[in-house]
Amino acid sequence: MDELTATFIDESRTLLAAMEGGLLQLEQADAGDDNVGGIFRAAHTIKGGAGVIECRFIEAFTHIVENVLDRVRAGDIPVSPGLVSVMLACCDHIGALLGVLVAGQPAPPQEVAAEGDALRAQLGQWGDDDGQAADCADGSTVPLSEAVTASGGGVVSSDAWHISVRFGTDVLRMGMDPLSFLRYLTTLGEIVTIETLADAMPDAAEMDAESCYLGFEIRFQTRAGKAEIERVFDFCRDDCALHILPPQSKCSDYLQLIQELPEDAMRLGEILVRIGALTQAELDAGLAAQAQPTSVEFDGDESGARAPLGEILVGQQAVRQEVVDAAVLKQATVKDRKIAESRMVRIQADKLDQLIDLVGELVISGASTHLFAQRSGLSELMESTSVLSRLVESIRDAALQLRMVQIGETFNRFNRVVRDASRELGKDIRLAITGGDTELDKSVVEKLGDPLMHLVRNAVDHGIEPAAVRAERGKPHQGTVRLNAYHDSGSIVIEVGDDGGGLAIERIRAKAIARGLIAEDAVMSGAEISNLIFEAGFSTAEQVTNLSGRGVGMDVVRRDIQALRGTIEVRSTEGVGAAFCIRLPLTLAIIDGFLVGVGSATYVVPLDSVVECIELQETTTGRNYLNLRGEVLPFVRLREMFEIGGDVPARQNVVVVQHAGQKAGLVVDRLLGEFQTVIKPLGALFQHLRGIGGSTILGSGEVALILDVPALLALVTSAEEKLVSPAPSRGRPSGTPDSQHLILQPSE
Amino acid sequence: MSSILQVRQAVPAVLAGSQPVVRDDAGSLQYLTFSLNSEMFAVGILNVKEIIEYGGLTQVPMMPAFIRGVINLRGAVVPVIDLSARFANETTRISKRTCIVIMEVVEGEVRHDIGIMVDMVSEVLEIPAADIEPPPSFGARIRADFIDGMGKVAGKFVILLNIAKVLSTEEISTLAAVYPGDARNPHLDG
Repeated sequence: MDELTATFIDESRTLLAAMEGGLLQLEQADAGDDNVGGIFRAAHTIKGGAGVIECRFIEAFTHIVENVLDRVRAGDIPVSPGLVSVMLACCDHIGALLGVLVAGQPAPPQEVAAEGDALRAQLGQWGDDDGQAADCADGSTVPLSEAVTASGGGVVSSDAWHISVRFGTDVLRMGMDPLSFLRYLTTLGEIVTIETLADAMPDAAEMDAESCYLGFEIRFQTRAGKAEIERVFDFCRDDCALHILPPQSKCSDYLQLIQELPEDAMRLGEILVRIGALTQAELDAGLAAQAQPTSVEFDGDESGARAPLGEILVGQQAVRQEVVDAAVLKQATVKDRKIAESRMVRIQADKLDQLIDLVGELVISGASTHLFAQRSGLSELMESTSVLSRLVESIRDAALQLRMVQIGETFNRFNRVVRDASRELGKDIRLAITGGDTELDKSVVEKLGDPLMHLVRNAVDHGIEPAAVRAERGKPHQGTVRLNAYHDSGSIVIEVGDDGGGLAIERIRAKAIARGLIAEDAVMSGAEISNLIFEAGFSTAEQVTNLSGRGVGMDVVRRDIQALRGTIEVRSTEGVGAAFCIRLPLTLAIIDGFLVGVGSATYVVPLDSVVECIELQETTTGRNYLNLRGEVLPFVRLREMFEIGGDVPARQNVVVVQHAGQKAGLVVDRLLGEFQTVIKPLGALFQHLRGIGGSTILGSGEVALILDVPALLALVTSAEEKLVSPAPSRGRPSGTPDSQHLILQPSE
Repeated sequence: MSSILQVRQAVPAVLAGSQPVVRDDAGSLQYLTFSLNSEMFAVGILNVKEIIEYGGLTQVPMMPAFIRGVINLRGAVVPVIDLSARFANETTRISKRTCIVIMEVVEGEVRHDIGIMVDMVSEVLEIPAADIEPPPSFGARIRADFIDGMGKVAGKFVILLNIAKVLSTEEISTLAAVYPGDARNPHLDG
């Protein structure tokens, strides 16, 4: 795929998202002109882009969509839920067409094409009808001698060139065929609509077969300039009356054109409307504005809608200041918007990643320089290196900032999800978004979509009760799903909440006991029970009302979140609502670690899982647990687990780590303190290695491995389970090696 | 022997991109020879990125013995394979001349850098295609698919390694996965 196409696809996806957002807003009775205009512009830009890369199927379809939108913008079509639905479907279809383009197929496959045809048919109801209605309303329509409609469809937006040409009577005699000019014109672009005017044709008796009486009104789409279009008619320039109006000309220009042309103004105006150069509303507005200062007789009565066509004659000399002002103002806004857009720079993601990698290197080598400087004992050198490392840190922060994106865009996607899902279920649900401007790493945002989708769907599906139940509970008819994001001490918190029924604690408890996840007599708080829904095997086998999603359990959500080094928990009050709280690190590239030493090796424990450090009191029992202020703390000896040789020092330490609410100890030789570090993946060779999450490079240039605490604990648990295989202890089933068991045992 | 020779791909462009150990009828190919347990081996030079002194190795726990660990190669974390152990012999004993040869392995569309530990790097040799014999079906005591051919150098045989097979990440990572890391900790239960 060439660069141009890639850019087009990228931009179009962004525009589609904007279009979708606008449409959803539109539905919520927010039919501001800016909004409709924005939707129209998005469609228009996609169409233009498709034209540039010569992707005809996208261009053709978007063209139709754009036409309808243009009529909405002009106020010809009222905004209705039906219209929005079809438009949203159109957005999806354009997205599908983009997919076809990405796949490199020359034309959409059967099912996509069928979908497109169905949408075309649906759009048809807002398409030509109004144009024809305008014709009929006038009553005085002269039957057209010929009407050629290009493949794009009937009604056209005002973005095309308008060409008015009246061929001279001698054209044919001079050996020139008007048709050949038109054919030549099509090599420059696309004739969207053409109207043939035979008004100059005299009665049959007077007609000279060798004379040409024809004129044409043409809507023409091209990227050629005015000069090029004029050149088409070069040969007959002297013999014909040619008027060319550029795209998006002001209303007044058209009015002027109407006056300049020989035909009856009323008829011309109506033709212009029909071929789409002007919408009826534009014409009316222009004429009305023109009429006011001059025409005293016109009092805007019921004939107002149609009468302005006649007003042309009255107000020929009027200054149409209002129309001009409006047009100028509009142009100015567009210009402002362009300036704002140009302040953004699009960068390829891998270039950014490269920069971040390099900055990571800089941090590491800066740290080692600092180390050497300290060893050298030269105070001046130390001072200069500490200034250097401060600068490097600022650079790193700035570089990481580049990757930050606002979460709002991701949140806004759920407007559509909530809308569609609630319709499907016949519920009335509102999505309330707050904190959309909270920023987090792009790579995190990308991986957050699926879990959020799951949670939102769950809230809509199972959280919000049916209207009848809501009424019974005295809640407002409309349910609310909330998405909220905020920063909290170096991490970002995302909340998905609803004001629905909440989690049924007793049911979860019963289920957990049935599944053997907890003991029957376990004493657990409501919160602990609520969080059981994240356990593997909780909701996969059987769908539990209120909780389970679409065949995927909440354990998958938790796994996704954990893969991002995040945590998730649920707060729920039965009958009032539930809120899922996701806590994520700001970035995946850098980790706050706690450095520990075992033998000659150094390991990094992610700081967010470290609770405290204590000295290991050797026990005589030889069992791997200790008494932490009355709590049983199982521990792992890293030296044994990692088979590290060397003498065991006299004093060993225990790093108490916490994961998913359960604590465990890691026995290490030395505690080396906190360390902020750049994560380096270990590569394909180690893809099956569990317990090690990655690596990092220390200031000394040595590689240190980062421990993956949850996986490490799972590993120890499953290893121990295998060893003590028929282990009926504490009444839980054996043979299901899973991390959850270690974590789940309630501290009885 | 600090950060010694840097062997970049100084081979005719015609050969670049093709499998380095393809036996071309017309020409000969360059090989880097090294010794391992006092035996001579060779690898196609197109795979060799650089040769560095042994050191700064970080062991990765719970991996088979032939994965010695990882090193920091100018900011990139590169795994190091003990070739001797990979050939099911003993692990390499570290000496003053032990080197790590950084190899580039192309698998599909992905390039990995992998280091191999060797006892001593000897020289870069040009071995004419005519001097390369097919591998023996047995007797080399190395898996037959690891051997690309037997080069005749000064009346002796040098084993030409098929580095793509020897360093196949797919195979190695699978081996690492079945490494009995789970069930082998009897001390856990005390």
